[in-house]
Amino acid sequence: MSSTEQGTSSAAPAEPTTAPESAAAPEVPESFYYVHGKDKVVHKVSAGALQHSALIHGMISNLGYTEEQAKANPFPFENIDGDILQMVVDWCNQHKGKPTPPEDTNLPKQKEKLFDLVLAVNYLEIKELLTYCCKQVAMMVKGKSPEEIREIWMIPTDAEDEAAEKEAKKRAGKEAAGETAAAAGDAK
Amino acid sequence: MKLSKFPYVVQKEIFDNMKTTNLFWLSFASKNMKTLIKSSQTKRFKSISRVTYNNWVNKWYVCILFKTKNMRTMEDCMGMDTIMAMSEHLDGTKHIFQLNVSGKKIGFRVSDEYPLPKASFYPSVPEAFFHPNLKESAFKAIHNYISDFFGDTVVYLWTANSYKHFIPQLPNLSLWVTMWPDRSEVTENIETFFASYPDIKYLSIRWDKLQSISPESQFYEAESIRITRPSLPAVHTFSRNFKGRQATLSYCECGFVELIEFMGRWRSGKALQKLEYLKITLTSGARHVREALRANWVKHIAATEKPPTHSVPDLYTSSFKPNTDPITSHSYIVRETDNRVASVSVQGRTFSFGVWNKTEEEFLKMVEQSQISN
Repeated sequence: MSSTEQGTSSAAPAEPTTAPESAAAPEVPESFYYVHGKDKVVHKVSAGALQHSALIHGMISNLGYTEEQAKANPFPFENIDGDILQMVVDWCNQHKGKPTPPEDTNLPKQKEKLFDLVLAVNYLEIKELLTYCCKQVAMMVKGKSPEEIREIWMIPTDAEDEAAEKEAKKRAGKEAAGETAAAAGDAK
Repeated sequence: MKLSKFPYVVQKEIFDNMKTTNLFWLSFASKNMKTLIKSSQTKRFKSISRVTYNNWVNKWYVCILFKTKNMRTMEDCMGMDTIMAMSEHLDGTKHIFQLNVSGKKIGFRVSDEYPLPKASFYPSVPEAFFHPNLKESAFKAIHNYISDFFGDTVVYLWTANSYKHFIPQLPNLSLWVTMWPDRSEVTENIETFFASYPDIKYLSIRWDKLQSISPESQFYEAESIRITRPSLPAVHTFSRNFKGRQATLSYCECGFVELIEFMGRWRSGKALQKLEYLKITLTSGARHVREALRANWVKHIAATEKPPTHSVPDLYTSSFKPNTDPITSHSYIVRETDNRVASVSVQGRTFSFGVWNKTEEEFLKMVEQSQISN
């Protein structure tokens, strides 16, 4: 994934900087918003780029922030790692106002990074990027045997599923018993 | 990467982007996985028209055909999803793994070249292998697994190129047979075969002694029949006894008299009640075929009006097209018992007959409406 074209990142909510605007400047001045992930690094992103995310788009369309208010109130995504959020921001900037291509080959190759990206993209509701990511996840098991697939996607065996189910039932039973005992104590 | 950590919508999106073959292999990972795939892919599985077990050079290939697929070229046929193969040969094993298939442990192998798409008619796919003595139980386990996975909206077909080949008898498994017995074949053997396999979906046959098959035989119950070079007596017996839905008679040794006789039988409602499509190609010696349309009960739409086109899904499963050849004809006949209409057409030496799910009144209304819309 390449670096951002329109938004840049900075450490802490200090003064986020902006990359030069593209040649075809819009007639109406574009509004910008600020987001940060677990690492607190703030990214300045245009509203146009953020349109890819149904979640953020929904948030900003109801806020009516001024530039100052937006800067003072970056959207916190504490559940998303900084580098993953950077990837998402880069992608949104690269595909701002453009039709999305049928394939995206710039997704991370490492399994764990891709996994985190999928979760982030799903949370932020970026439909096209989610489809690309899921395609890449699907490709991981193309032509693989069930055992190989189990290893790649860490799928529990039937025995493991049964043991987990038993354990969950036991836990639920214990919790129910605890609640009954507490209720009886309260009654006394 | 733990798949189970993804929310359901993400898991579904991943599955939606997988080929059916890969989903099939994923389903063996666990019972829960199989259930998850089945529940998330109901739309895809409902769009499968049939799963076929095809015999090809000592192996059986399990292929999926989707309803929307229009197989026009050899490439399209090769693109048919082949999900697995089955073999009773134990040699040449490269990469082996065992799977629990409907409670039965079955060995599978993958050739070194896998995956090798479109390198041969059937791509290289994981192959179940078993001892010949165990093939019946192995087929049963595999079919049970497959039919449970894809569900009951799919037609499961076993294809055999001879009635002498091995054909398992399993629930929900229809039969598609191509048989060209020689002259010396005894009628009793053929009849015994038909009696043993009553659920014949499709039958392609060429046999000089066809007329010797008893009118009560299951042969006449096949849903779709293709007969090559039927003799005149065979045509008579066939038109009297056929109880299926579609039939194609090629290089037929009959003339317009037989065609009129055939239409008369359908018209009376006493025979061919389930028929929806018939195509008869006559031999080059046939003369005056158009005379068939001059029977006094054959009706005609005015030449200035546009006749509707008849076409129904083709039951001939290896067809290169999904529907029967369109019949657009000004001529039609009406069945006496229920007033249903059949379009009749003669083009060169080809006689086509398509039954509408409409009464004459409804049929003529359709003609009228097509005039208005034009």
